[in-house]
Amino acid sequence: MSTQTATANRPKQDLTPDEKLEKLKEIYADAPELGKAALKNGLAMLMQELSATGRAQTAGRIGLRQGKVSELCVFLPFVEGGARRLRGLLQLLQGNFRAADAVGTVHDMRFVFVENDTKLLFATAYDGDFDPYIEDFAAKIPNAMDLWLCNFEGYPGMRNPKAAADWIASHQIAAEAWYVNSPNLTAAETRRLEKVGKAVDGLLDQIG
Amino acid sequence: MATQTQFATEPQSDAAVERKVQRLRELYADAPQLGRDALEQGMPNLKRELAAGTGAQNAGRIGARQGKVSELTGIIPFARGGAKRLQGLLEALEGNFRGGDAVGTLHDMRFVFLENDTKLLFATAYDGDWDAYIDDFVTKIPHSMDLIFCNLEGWPGIHSPSVKDYIVKHQIAAKAWYVANPNLTVAETRRLEKIGKAMDEFLDQVS
Repeated sequence: MSTQTATANRPKQDLTPDEKLEKLKEIYADAPELGKAALKNGLAMLMQELSATGRAQTAGRIGLRQGKVSELCVFLPFVEGGARRLRGLLQLLQGNFRAADAVGTVHDMRFVFVENDTKLLFATAYDGDFDPYIEDFAAKIPNAMDLWLCNFEGYPGMRNPKAAADWIASHQIAAEAWYVNSPNLTAAETRRLEKVGKAVDGLLDQIG
Repeated sequence: MATQTQFATEPQSDAAVERKVQRLRELYADAPQLGRDALEQGMPNLKRELAAGTGAQNAGRIGARQGKVSELTGIIPFARGGAKRLQGLLEALEGNFRGGDAVGTLHDMRFVFLENDTKLLFATAYDGDWDAYIDDFVTKIPHSMDLIFCNLEGWPGIHSPSVKDYIVKHQIAAKAWYVANPNLTVAETRRLEKIGKAMDEFLDQVS
């Protein structure tokens, strides 16, 4: 479907920020006027970005990572009746993915029906590397996984975790670029910090 | 496109849960064996999910929201030469989206090239409502926005009055959206990270 090469997998160029800017100007030579103007007017921010140490990493087998947080994005083809069933399931769940809470490594996930309900775009932000992430799902919530993934062509089932991981990877398209605002926090660490914050607020209330 | 309805947040009654289970069984009557087995074997957990008060909300004009965090997903065709330019730009940036940090309401963001580099999938998780979010980009990082999105077909420019209509036109609302920590904005998470570090140092000192 698209370029499977992740930006981070490409050979490092080791250009100086000024050399990068020169290259960008060449690349944008045929851009719409709007884009060329943006390059000129946004130079201050752009130079900061070009000067910083690269934050892009890979998530193991496929996908990008920033710090502790990775991205997974797949387009999955529905089997006949699959779109109707998944839609019904999601409607009844009303956003209560207790199963994802149980896994504990998911930051966010979205289910988007595309191409006239023939495919699902599933995109998630998660902690760590691809293979351990899928193994976690297989170990902790195999039924919840089978319940939604049985609606897609060729899904081998979570009782066969290796085959399931291969199946997911075969439908995955690695992002060209990935940004995470707080790349040093896993979902679990953020939950812990939320508690710490409440405790500190409580403490300060008592003192004050 | 998606359910834009706001739901009540009260836990569901036993009878309501049983009705939902019944509907799921009907829905899955023609599912592959794997799916029907998963339904029965996972029933205790599933009932807990069906019984919980819903977290699904909408993000204003378009998109889903959970707590304070919303989703924006768009699939947009590249302009001629646009994929090549955007790829070059993203490669040069190496993931350093200082612009994203500057906006301050952006949790995560991905750029995915689709269908032989003819379309871009752009997906973000952000704080609050759609209109305020887009306004933030317009005021805080207009040049970064134009630099990225001038590579897409029909991009009217971040300062154009039609820019919001353009984004809405290409956005596809998610049918379902999950956020692990729905009560934390980007700013709150950053503040908590600092509190956590300060607490660790404090505890080190008193020990």
